[in-house]
Amino acid sequence: MRGNSRKMVLLAWVSFLSTLAWTCPLGRQASARADTSGTSGTPERVVAIKADRIDTVTNGVIQNGVILIRGTKISEIGTNVAIPGTAEIIDAGKQTVFPGLVSPVSDIGLSSAQRGGPASHARYRVADVLYPYQHEYQRVLQAGFTTLGLVPRGQGVAGQGAVIRPAGRSREEMLVAESGMIWIEFRADGRMKDVIRKALESAKNKETSDDPDVAAMIRALQGKIPTFVSCARPADTIHLLDLLKERDKMKLVLVLGIESHRIAERLVKEKIPVVIPASIEFELFTLTRINEPDLLARAGVQIACVPESADVEGLEDFRRQMAALVKCGLDGQTARKAMTIYPAEALGLDYRLGSLEKGKDANLLVLDGDVLDATTTIQKVMIEGKIVYENPWEKSQ
Amino acid sequence: MRDGNRTRWTTRGTRPRFPGPAATAVLTALMLCVPSILSGEAKVTAIKGGDIYTITSGIVRNGTVLVKDGKILRIGQGIDIPKDANVVDVRGKVVMPGLVAAATMFMPAAGSGSDKIADSLDPFNYSLSMALASGVTSIFAAGRGGPGGGPTAVIKPTYGDLEHMLLKEPAAENINVAGYQWMERTNFILKMRQAKDYLRKLAEYEKAKAKNEKLEAPRKPPDIDACLRLLRREMPGRLRAARAGEILKALELVNEFPFRLVIEGGTEAWTVADAIAARDVAVIVTPRVKQRPDEDISQPSGSNVENAAILKRAGVKFAILPATPYFSTGGFVGRDLMTLPMDAAAAVSGGLDEQTALEAITITAARILGVDDRVGSLQEGKDADIIVLGGHPFHYDTFVEMTFVDGKLMYEKNKSIYFSHIRRYDDKVPGLPSDARRGDPDALPPRELQRGANP
Repeated sequence: MRGNSRKMVLLAWVSFLSTLAWTCPLGRQASARADTSGTSGTPERVVAIKADRIDTVTNGVIQNGVILIRGTKISEIGTNVAIPGTAEIIDAGKQTVFPGLVSPVSDIGLSSAQRGGPASHARYRVADVLYPYQHEYQRVLQAGFTTLGLVPRGQGVAGQGAVIRPAGRSREEMLVAESGMIWIEFRADGRMKDVIRKALESAKNKETSDDPDVAAMIRALQGKIPTFVSCARPADTIHLLDLLKERDKMKLVLVLGIESHRIAERLVKEKIPVVIPASIEFELFTLTRINEPDLLARAGVQIACVPESADVEGLEDFRRQMAALVKCGLDGQTARKAMTIYPAEALGLDYRLGSLEKGKDANLLVLDGDVLDATTTIQKVMIEGKIVYENPWEKSQ
Repeated sequence: MRDGNRTRWTTRGTRPRFPGPAATAVLTALMLCVPSILSGEAKVTAIKGGDIYTITSGIVRNGTVLVKDGKILRIGQGIDIPKDANVVDVRGKVVMPGLVAAATMFMPAAGSGSDKIADSLDPFNYSLSMALASGVTSIFAAGRGGPGGGPTAVIKPTYGDLEHMLLKEPAAENINVAGYQWMERTNFILKMRQAKDYLRKLAEYEKAKAKNEKLEAPRKPPDIDACLRLLRREMPGRLRAARAGEILKALELVNEFPFRLVIEGGTEAWTVADAIAARDVAVIVTPRVKQRPDEDISQPSGSNVENAAILKRAGVKFAILPATPYFSTGGFVGRDLMTLPMDAAAAVSGGLDEQTALEAITITAARILGVDDRVGSLQEGKDADIIVLGGHPFHYDTFVEMTFVDGKLMYEKNKSIYFSHIRRYDDKVPGLPSDARRGDPDALPPRELQRGANP
């Protein structure tokens, strides 16, 4: 991978050209402007994607369908969609259109420096330390991810995560949600429990606060932003749930690890969505292997999957990891949802992300096969109506 | 675990569905039965037909143990078993109290650096399921570093159940001042003197208060709570001491401060048994530890297989522990808590009587941990922590076949994976003619297995 510098240069070049193409006022865009009857007066691009197979994830597969995109949103999707004459047509032919992948938890491009000791830093925001000019984001895009939840590292209440598009040249262009979630790294011990308890109590029964730490916790308690809590072991989870017995409107999402199926019943009962790595691990001290996401899904837990490893290589390998889970028992449709709509729901952004539906953001992938097929290549990545990546390599016939 | 098959990724199960109308009707019917269960009519479990080693009141041959609400209801021969009781037939087997591990090196907790073990207990710790397989139902756990720091507790291996896991916390004060820790020892002694002085002044103040005399209340020095608990004899103090010199150094502490001392290790305790017996000091011995004698001195030294027997003759209270007090299926197998009775058997081989050896891994260990009111022997009213063994506890061929914790059957050998690779000589092995394995001369092995058979 490292030796392929020529390839990387070419890829960067191609992506630059494609960006250039969208920033240049071309003739067809000018004519598209005439077609829009919007009252705002801003020109609205119209794009129609024709494809043999459109996997909407939430509403089944559409054969020989059309996706009509006006501006950044999907305005029509189906088989009988009238394409306006001014629309720019992308003919995907025999290829498949799939929603852009959503990774709910990631720290790509952030400093990995851990702050020590359990502490409460709810004021700390990833959005304030976001740095757009990093080549990792381009690789993430090429791996098919159109949305990332970026979280700060640190024990206790680590801060507020941001939801970003891995494309764009400024913070504003990248940010989907500045304050996307509260991120807590929990483990069962007395000091940690004190920190969490104090943070919760400071925000309880309050509407506003001048203290930015408390203000962020208030938003979490009122359910305005989800609260992501990472618990390495099931014991940590049960201690946490005992601590959060009266959590009111808080939208709790658990980020779990091995052995989580041991508490699946409780997760179902309390309707808690779960973020889980797409990995198959050994049961401790045995040669039995556990497909943790599968066991959780079978128990009825809503799972959002993240790659086995948090680095870019992990994200690039994500589709194959999901395919391995499906090979070893996970339901294929659940796997597709666990890469798209379920993480979008966990982030509280399912009204605009995670599936191909009318009114949602036009975040999509054009693939030359099924998303879970190991031989499939991502041909195009579109974020909010803009093609942000095109595969520069023709697949050999 | 018991659901080992379900967790294999090759096995495809079915997704649980919402119960249909028929199932709902059944559920409703079941829920109507609930009040009768809640009104104190909990089901009785009868462990029937085994030889019951009660530890504190002899052996009941072919007896029955009745269990209700997690406690032992009755023990004896020819007891009436309630009609709806859940009967566990253990004819020909040995029934005894769950074993008590007087110390462990593993920590049944998820986090570290806690002030309280209760804050971080991990009911999914694998050591707990191995403890069940070993018949150990009470475990002393100390915070990281063993003696010298951290919280202490006695826990039960209630795998998967956080609520009933904690038996007692705190259970002891760790004081690590018998070896070369001269600084810690000095600090400890200074603290203890402050605490002793404070208690003396407090007593004077109380006396004066009773006589309505005016006296200023004494000010409590900082950080002496642990010392106060020791001096008030609410908590035993535990320390590690193996060599005779270390043990005598530890005994000197008791001379000045009359607290309940528990010595862990005690390899050379047999050389100073009389000195130990003269004070209220308990020892946790490890009979199978090997230690060379010190050839520079003429006095007896080093390990001795008769250690436990000599302590018994001197009148010292002791518990028995393996050399490596944790649970494992690898490593030093046979010298860890998976085979706790074997260490007691080693003490028997050194001249200790069987009864005392059994007590040393049950009731005496429970007394040392301060939990003998609930565990350590089979008595009416005590916790139903019961194990069923295939034979005498000290026989090398004996396995734990069942483990009950709080009356709940938590382990069954034939449903567990831990010893599934070990088979007895006369077990029927698939693919092998069992009669030939038994050594029956008439039963010839199949032709292809006969020596010299021509294929």
